Amino acid sequence: MAQKEMNLSPELIAEAVKRVMASMVDSKVQPAAPVSGGGSARPDARKDYPLALKHPDRVRSASGKKLDEVTLDKVLAGQIGFDDVKISPETLEFQAGIAESVGRPRLAANMRRAAEMTRIPDERILEMYNALRPYRSTRQELLDMAAELETKYGARVCSALVREAAEIYEKRGRLKR
Amino acid sequence: MARRQKRFEVLEQRPIHKDGFIKEWVEVGLVAMDSPNDPAAGIKIQGGKVVELDGKRREDFDMIDYWIADHYIDTAVAEEAMGLDSLKFARMLVDIDVPRCEIIRLSVGMTPAKILEVLKKLNVVELMMAMQKLRPRRTPSNQAHVTNLKDTPALLAADAAEAAYRGFSEVETTVGVVRYAPMNALSITLGSQVGRPGVIAQCAVEEALELAMGMRGLTHYAETVSVYGTEQVFIDGDDTPWSKAFLASAYASRGLKMRYTSGTGSEVQMGYAEGKSMLYLEIRCVMVTKAAGVQGLQNGSISCIGVPGAVPAGIRAVLAENVATVLTDLEVASGNDQTFTHSSIRNTARMLMQFLPGTDLIFSGYSSVPNYDNMFAGSTHDCDDYDDYLVLQRDLQIDGGLRPVTEEKVIEVRNRAARALQAVFEELSLPPVTDEEVEAATYAHGSKDMPDRNVPEDLRAIDEMMKRGTTALDIVRALAKHGFRQEAETMLNMLKQKISGDYLHTSAIFDENMHVISAVNDANDYQGPGTGYRLEGARWDILKDIPMAIDPEDI
Repeated sequence: MAQKEMNLSPELIAEAVKRVMASMVDSKVQPAAPVSGGGSARPDARKDYPLALKHPDRVRSASGKKLDEVTLDKVLAGQIGFDDVKISPETLEFQAGIAESVGRPRLAANMRRAAEMTRIPDERILEMYNALRPYRSTRQELLDMAAELETKYGARVCSALVREAAEIYEKRGRLKR
Repeated sequence: MARRQKRFEVLEQRPIHKDGFIKEWVEVGLVAMDSPNDPAAGIKIQGGKVVELDGKRREDFDMIDYWIADHYIDTAVAEEAMGLDSLKFARMLVDIDVPRCEIIRLSVGMTPAKILEVLKKLNVVELMMAMQKLRPRRTPSNQAHVTNLKDTPALLAADAAEAAYRGFSEVETTVGVVRYAPMNALSITLGSQVGRPGVIAQCAVEEALELAMGMRGLTHYAETVSVYGTEQVFIDGDDTPWSKAFLASAYASRGLKMRYTSGTGSEVQMGYAEGKSMLYLEIRCVMVTKAAGVQGLQNGSISCIGVPGAVPAGIRAVLAENVATVLTDLEVASGNDQTFTHSSIRNTARMLMQFLPGTDLIFSGYSSVPNYDNMFAGSTHDCDDYDDYLVLQRDLQIDGGLRPVTEEKVIEVRNRAARALQAVFEELSLPPVTDEEVEAATYAHGSKDMPDRNVPEDLRAIDEMMKRGTTALDIVRALAKHGFRQEAETMLNMLKQKISGDYLHTSAIFDENMHVISAVNDANDYQGPGTGYRLEGARWDILKDIPMAIDPEDI
């Protein structure tokens, strides 16, 4: 599910907040985006899970490798790198759909944040996590991070989470002093 | 007393007299599940937003209240759920004619005080009935601690292999010396795959380091992501519900399973219980977890078990917190993981609360090493209790997750794991695992039987390994190069599980064919006798066949 990079606007923020609220609070099933190459049907736990057994052909790693392309011989021949054994945003979106089909909208929302984070490098994720800890960031620093999430990584749901944190941290006096 | 009564003199010598007990002390929160300071249940919703939670108005919310109000509560069912009589809902928990899904549907409409009100109405047998019906995965399982005093890697690998072979589906290590973490993680991750393919491994250390190791494939999942029931303790734990939710998603973004950790007594221990009961605060932790979209929670007091253990009904409260977890549809790794009593009678009684109904992971975990080697401050049961545990399973026809084994086979898997680790160390330029260490690890009872290693040299090599960016793929290559092709395949297959993401779902573990078993494809369907998980057939044949039993044919 490729996301376009976008410029920040009040409409976008409002939309992002709406979206995170909808996916995190509302228990009603949200329509899931189709997994790449998997048709447009919504994931169904009974037919589609576990994905590795039911649809191994549909699973692609972050780098686009199929499951059966990741073999020991290829690892030994140096043809498989660590990016070839990473999960893709499309697979996380598909698993979010599975979670919704068994009544777990909050787990699905977590997987959608995760789908966005697949685009963020390890180092930056660790820095962002630390920046969200208490007393680490000013309000502006958190808002800048939210903007970075949105514009650089197309991570709209994560961005809304960070904006919400900025608001609550300010109310509760947990910003950098 | 002029003269002592002799029976009393004997009683005073019993181990139970070394345990600590205290009368309830409400002001500091030393009360299990019924404090006069616990709020009355209630909710007010305006325009789809929670504006009052358990008697507190939105403008007075602390961080946890906000998080629960905005991310846990389903406003579409809140009025129905809160309007339900608490006694009626308590009865629904144990009513076999009320399916699990109906309980789950209503649970997200309830506030912490409401769920507290409900759980207070159940005695321990009813709480066990509720657990039997409500745990997410139908098949119960178990987790092992694998640690040692010296952080000696060959022994970690051998112990992880034995634990996996005996039937644990998860293994957890931690460190004596923090900088050993990556080596410990590597050792048990490899060792467990030798013992039984599909076992998942974690290394409990500081949050950011734990994530960094997971990102490189040195572990398969994480658990030490602590949450607390009052804002001040949460902050003292150096996190917020938002930072923890971000961390949770970070794990999933790398295909890694994770659960949170909490437990009754932690807020008392850290000095900010606000005079609330331990169970009330713990229910808030459960909701913080659920609201973050995390699939499960380790609770059951955990490292604070001495606190609820000291007050009346404390062990009942510990079971109640496990039930709070499953009634909100979260995987529960249910404690039994810290020494809390000198009495073996009391120790086992506490464990039966989870063992009898079965939970997703009955222990979190069972000490697969001797008590002195357990770096989590002991566990309720350890490797010296294996045969007792197997007999308990056999006596009661209960699947506690372990199976009888032979000495020959245990020696074999321990040895192979230590040798595989030796090969990997050689290839990764880590200080060698000597043949002497392999031999000692194979036959050891604990780290007292192991030669010492050069610790500064190990730590230097670990730092270099982390700087080089070594990943689990390097381990796979090292194994294959040294003739451990089967183990290389297994390690690679575990990495591939992260690509498909199937084990990100609730209560996921793997069977020996590396097929995922979770609350999606093995959902608990208990609805009374004849339903749910039954220990019978081939599995029962395995569990009842303990080597200690005399075969009539031999007589």
